[in-house]
Amino acid sequence: MNHQDEGKTATLKKPTNLSDRLRRLRDYYFKGVDRPWNNQHISFTTGTPWDMQYNELSYYIVPETYAFFQTFCSSFAQIAETVSLPQGFWDMSLHERRAWFNREVMVNYLPQEILPGDLIAGGRFNMHTSACLTEAEQKARNRRLYGKKGLRKETIAFHNHGYGNVGPTSGHLIPDYAAILEKGFSAVLKDLQARYDALPPKEKAGRPGSRLRAMIIAALMPVEVAGRYREEALRLAGEESDGKRKAELENLAEILTRIPEFGARTFHEAVQSLWLTHMCVMADENYPGAGLSFGNIDRYLLPYWEASISEGMDREEGKEILKCFWIHANTAYDSMIQVGNQGITAGFGQLFNLSGLGPGGKDMTNQLTWVFLEVIDEMSPILEPKPNVRLHRNSPDDLLDKVVEMISSSQGAPFLLNFDERSMAGMLREAKTAGVEAFIHPDNVHDYASVGCLENTMVGNDRSGTVDCNLNLLKAVELVLGNGKSLVPFTDTITGITEKSTRESPATGDPKAFRSFEDFWRAYEVQTRFIIRKITGLYDRGEETRKTYHPTPYLSTLVRGCAEKALDITEGGPELNFVTVEGVTFATTVDSLLAVKYLVYDNAFCTLEELIDALKNNWQGYETLQARAKNKAPKYGRDDDTADALASKVMALWAEEVWNYTTCTGRRFRPGMLSWNYWVSDGFILPASPDGRPKDQFLSNAICPSNGADTAGPTANANSVGKALGGRGVGGDYLDYFNLLPNGASHTMSFNPSLIKKPGNREKFKAFLRGYAENGGTALQVNMLDPEVLKDAQQHPADYRHLLVRVTGYNAYFTAIGKELQDEVIARISHEKV
Amino acid sequence: MEKGSTDPSALVLEIMRMSTEDGPGLRTTMFLKGCSLSCRWCQNPESISAKPEVRWIGNRCLGCRECLSACPVSALSCEEGITVRRNLCTGCGSCAEECPASALEVWGRRMTVEEAFKELMKDRAYFGTDGGVTLSGGEATLQAPFVKALFTRLAKEGVHTALDTCGACSTEQLETSCEQADLILYDLKESDEDLHRRYTGGSLKLVVDHFKTVVSLVRSSRLHRQVWPDQREKRLWVRTPVIPGMTARRDNIQGIARIILEHGEGLVDRWELCAFNNLCRDKYRRLGKAWELEEADLLPAEEMDALVQAAVEAGADADLVHWSGMTRNIKE
Repeated sequence: MNHQDEGKTATLKKPTNLSDRLRRLRDYYFKGVDRPWNNQHISFTTGTPWDMQYNELSYYIVPETYAFFQTFCSSFAQIAETVSLPQGFWDMSLHERRAWFNREVMVNYLPQEILPGDLIAGGRFNMHTSACLTEAEQKARNRRLYGKKGLRKETIAFHNHGYGNVGPTSGHLIPDYAAILEKGFSAVLKDLQARYDALPPKEKAGRPGSRLRAMIIAALMPVEVAGRYREEALRLAGEESDGKRKAELENLAEILTRIPEFGARTFHEAVQSLWLTHMCVMADENYPGAGLSFGNIDRYLLPYWEASISEGMDREEGKEILKCFWIHANTAYDSMIQVGNQGITAGFGQLFNLSGLGPGGKDMTNQLTWVFLEVIDEMSPILEPKPNVRLHRNSPDDLLDKVVEMISSSQGAPFLLNFDERSMAGMLREAKTAGVEAFIHPDNVHDYASVGCLENTMVGNDRSGTVDCNLNLLKAVELVLGNGKSLVPFTDTITGITEKSTRESPATGDPKAFRSFEDFWRAYEVQTRFIIRKITGLYDRGEETRKTYHPTPYLSTLVRGCAEKALDITEGGPELNFVTVEGVTFATTVDSLLAVKYLVYDNAFCTLEELIDALKNNWQGYETLQARAKNKAPKYGRDDDTADALASKVMALWAEEVWNYTTCTGRRFRPGMLSWNYWVSDGFILPASPDGRPKDQFLSNAICPSNGADTAGPTANANSVGKALGGRGVGGDYLDYFNLLPNGASHTMSFNPSLIKKPGNREKFKAFLRGYAENGGTALQVNMLDPEVLKDAQQHPADYRHLLVRVTGYNAYFTAIGKELQDEVIARISHEKV
Repeated sequence: MEKGSTDPSALVLEIMRMSTEDGPGLRTTMFLKGCSLSCRWCQNPESISAKPEVRWIGNRCLGCRECLSACPVSALSCEEGITVRRNLCTGCGSCAEECPASALEVWGRRMTVEEAFKELMKDRAYFGTDGGVTLSGGEATLQAPFVKALFTRLAKEGVHTALDTCGACSTEQLETSCEQADLILYDLKESDEDLHRRYTGGSLKLVVDHFKTVVSLVRSSRLHRQVWPDQREKRLWVRTPVIPGMTARRDNIQGIARIILEHGEGLVDRWELCAFNNLCRDKYRRLGKAWELEEADLLPAEEMDALVQAAVEAGADADLVHWSGMTRNIKE
């Protein structure tokens, strides 16, 4: 069967319009481990016997790594190269030691290579460097992590008991790159020095002085790294016989003479400055690009583009520079290249935004937006950097045309779509709730951008710790049913030992005694407050450890507020200080509450006691009841006002509770919804749920309806999502839009390709996107998947190495994700109408 | 119409949101139950009867037999699956209510204009300027007061309205239904009087007469607009189901082309040839009805192209004629 004007089978998107240079660079990149050198993590030590390089705190939110902590810690220690330390190293503050050490490694230890034909310099940055702790510091830090009630144990127990996962991880912010492009690090250094000179002697000798000195050392790093690459470029130019390449290398050397020390003047300088500055953050944090994002790139690069174009730069020449930048961004994936392609579990997400609203409601689409869209189109499929196109109600028609064309010619949207009105409503609500209207207000809220996948933050002054706290809202339902205990005690799969069932949370009463759904709801409120207290409390312990032992002085030079307060970013330096609790399992939770109400209180199909028994038995022997829960109980995601009203109530409860907590570093907790891949794996931890889901089946993803629940089609699905976020009405947060989640909420929808590929339907899909801007959520990932292609890819992974799929707005190579998730993606090819 | 003319109601078969197939833009299509024709290829056999009907979806059934005792008239039996004795079944829906697996469902529920309006407005944001609401069937005109009242309500909100009709109704029903419709999707299925009766059970003459009625309504709406510019203008599309072994004939398409040329007065904006598919075969099974086209294959795209060509040869404007739907790839 085929459709008019539609190919017989979907074909994989291939890169187009690549020059020989880019084809070579791209092919070289995909050679992976066969490359003569790569950007795999290597480690460096101070040489002390207690030294530590691998900081597991950054990985507490990645449960897949828990089993390997000991291995990573000891193997990086074993292979670590010793760095010779200067006299007086141990007399410096920890912040200065760390700044010095990272700078030393980047400048004098990590090799600097430039690939044949490459127009951008900056190759290696993945490293695990010494924490630079004294013996006493190291011991004190280890006590926090490895004691009987140590963080590692508590974090793993938190995860094992189905609460979610939590830890202070790296990245997930947008540094003030625009300021570096404009003025260079010379301005940063000047500012830091002036602040330092102005300190009273006591402060100079104390904490503020040490922080500023550390930042000064750190701000020299990118400048000196550029110097090294300049030497390399000149060396290669000297050996080069091809005149054209020789000139390119000399030009590169010239560029590296200027940036990032001084402001960029040309597009090439700006892109090179951006890459080096960015790359050094990944080095500083010892973490490759985890949600380290670029912000509204088509806005701040525009002046340089215009300058170069007016001075005669060819448009394709400019694109060529960007394409080299693309290749560099992908080298973050070299991190663990020998272990294999990390697919969805990879912690990367170098995101950038395009287009969107500007001052006075003006659309900010410009000529560079189009250049970027072309580069995405021509380079894809490739994982990094990740584009996110900002749409709004008045997005220009030709931009939507291009967006829809790119979705239809690819296996799905090669970008996420962010929706400005709803997103900005969330940012303004945050400003009001947290009292930070000085930094977020109606005149600058359009400057917001997204990090990682879709998490909305302000730019250059905001570390909102997105994805640091991932909370399974469903756990509260389980604790109600267990009266403060887990329903099914935890069994360690390795040891086979089953834990004793103990009280974990407040007793909310024997569920048998609940007389109405209102009784149940009151207990649910108590348990929800408990799980939020628990996750924020555990986070704060990690935050305190990071603050004390793991400074990132270089990153601090790139975030406004740190220099002003003379505080490291890990100490609460930024102007905007938040941590995001990402609510996971939203729809499963709502549907479970709806099912309890429907089965027990509205229709008396069973007692609560019987329902609990059914769940403990994973529905075995209760198939009829399970069928009622699945098929007859109301569900969120169908635009059913009664069901969606409960969804709103669940949302309001947890989202408002989150604001009540603040870390020891003064970071206020704020709500969001991004499930990464936890909704898959935690389905194997949490017991059967009242919505009819058995254990080992996936939970719901972010703000999406439960899989298969959205029976009323895509528009109903989108409307439910918008309502759950607060809908629209009088007294909105932005215009008449409400948004309870400043971080935003991940929403993935899969469409049958015929919906968009059929001639004449593109206008219809544009109408859908315009409607989504009115009624939907903050961020949408559009998947356009052909099940036949995916099934074939499961069978013949070697033929589909480049096949990208997107889950939770997170790109991954399909053949690299687990079988269960592959099946899930195939099952999600929904909304099919014939 | 149970509650009299102030708030008429209708038997609604289904509401399909985000439809791309029933007029311009994104639409919500509401299918009303009850049809005056019984076309042999009918894609929605459940829409023919004007009464609610129970259907059983075997692959959902748990075999729990809860439905048997739920039925007040003992119309259900369970041998190899559930059988509905249609002569006894009143369509009350008790069994569907009780069925834990949603294996039993009722086709047809009564909705008032206000209820329907509220449901249809949920997708207002997606309609944009060209999308809107389509009323289809069955034959929607058979419930004309509902159609008119609903369209009036929607038009007041600026929602584009489309009526899908086969023309087999009374002239009054047709005119009432068209009154507030912005677009009329008019079916011309067969151009031979005998075959028309044989295939559809209805008279071609009536259908052609009513085609003329619709054309004159469209014409007068356009004239009115010259006098009252804020008056809405009606548009007219023709649709032809192309059925292998039945209407998929060159002479039929050319005959319909001549009807359009002779009576359409140049007011038809689009003529769509809709290629047959047999995806509805399960519906016949669930209704317990045999269907002669169950095994019929899809048409090859080349044949659809040839029929479009035939229409053009008979004088139809090439920009006007399109075909849509699924086709068979000859190489398969």
